[in-house]
Amino acid sequence: MTTKSYTQAVADGIWGAGADLIGYVPSVTIAPVVDHLVTADGGTAGISERVKPLSREEEAVGVLGALPLAGKFGAVVMQDNGFGNSLTALTTFSLSYHLPLLIFANTRGGPGEYNSMIHSISQPMPAILRTAGLQVLELDRRSSADDWEQTIAEAGVHARMTYRPVVVLGSFWNTDGKVA
Amino acid sequence: MKRIEALQVLNELTAELPVVVTCAATSRELASVENRDNHFYVLDSMGLVGSITTGLALAAKDSDLPKVIGLEGDGSLLMNPNVLPTGGFLGADKLLLVLLDNQVYGSTAGLPTYSSHIDLGAMAEATGWTVGRAEDEVHLRTEFDRLLATTGLTLLHLSIEAGNAADVPKLLVDPVVLAHRFQSWLTARIADNPAS
Repeated sequence: MTTKSYTQAVADGIWGAGADLIGYVPSVTIAPVVDHLVTADGGTAGISERVKPLSREEEAVGVLGALPLAGKFGAVVMQDNGFGNSLTALTTFSLSYHLPLLIFANTRGGPGEYNSMIHSISQPMPAILRTAGLQVLELDRRSSADDWEQTIAEAGVHARMTYRPVVVLGSFWNTDGKVA
Repeated sequence: MKRIEALQVLNELTAELPVVVTCAATSRELASVENRDNHFYVLDSMGLVGSITTGLALAAKDSDLPKVIGLEGDGSLLMNPNVLPTGGFLGADKLLLVLLDNQVYGSTAGLPTYSSHIDLGAMAEATGWTVGRAEDEVHLRTEFDRLLATTGLTLLHLSIEAGNAADVPKLLVDPVVLAHRFQSWLTARIADNPAS
């Protein structure tokens, strides 16, 4: 059992998944994850050689989801309310062309939430993603940071093994991370 | 010039380059000109060609590929204009996006796009792209060659006539087959010719 933080575990899990390039769409919850990713890659101020900021989830799926066509593997870090912006790309590009992609998204709208409406998109999202045919793994306070890291790393392996995107949803409530 | 005339020229110019093609009429017209292993047809996913080619340009940055080519339409680019600032910010230097601008959604009943009022080439310039412009075959060839040799992010703004070629068959191919074919070609191309 290590004492690393959950956000550090997420970052280590993504690198452990074998990501060649990582794109992120901003979220206060995943900001520490981005810091860990960038620091590990020798960068500063939210960007490094292999960690890039993107402006919208749809383009993140396009940019990172294309890497297998060049023999590489991409990962996206985002917040779950952004999946609505990316469903067409995930289904008609990643799923249809059998292109592996790792997505880690923090969840909103559950315990610890301050926002009175974000649950409208976040609460049904696991069901929406599964209905669209996406593989979804869910993590929360009930498992350790070690388990988060191992699950995320294995999700990357599973994505490549099954030639499809795999989504890991992480609820930071009652962990040492921040919900919102 | 008509779109299919432009695609005939572009097909000739891109025999050794990865080419990612926007959906519907443009993909099927290029496939009717020649259906090659270095073509990746985006059968749906309108607006995603610029993002896909940005990813491929970043993935190929250490190879000897001069450019990754995206063939995009004005309507499709306007569905994901983030391509322009994102490419400019990230410095996807190996990207050459050819914008086939006919001022209409050619596969959607010819409904108008914004490009009769908005200069998409100027938008690209404002976000850090080197832009060339062409309206005929001579300038298409010269500007393509110039941009292919230009270091950094490039966009060729090509004005074409509205309308689709007649009697071009639909592309009824499993996308998995298209992906595997293109991936096999591109990974071999990169592996055979690593940057020195």
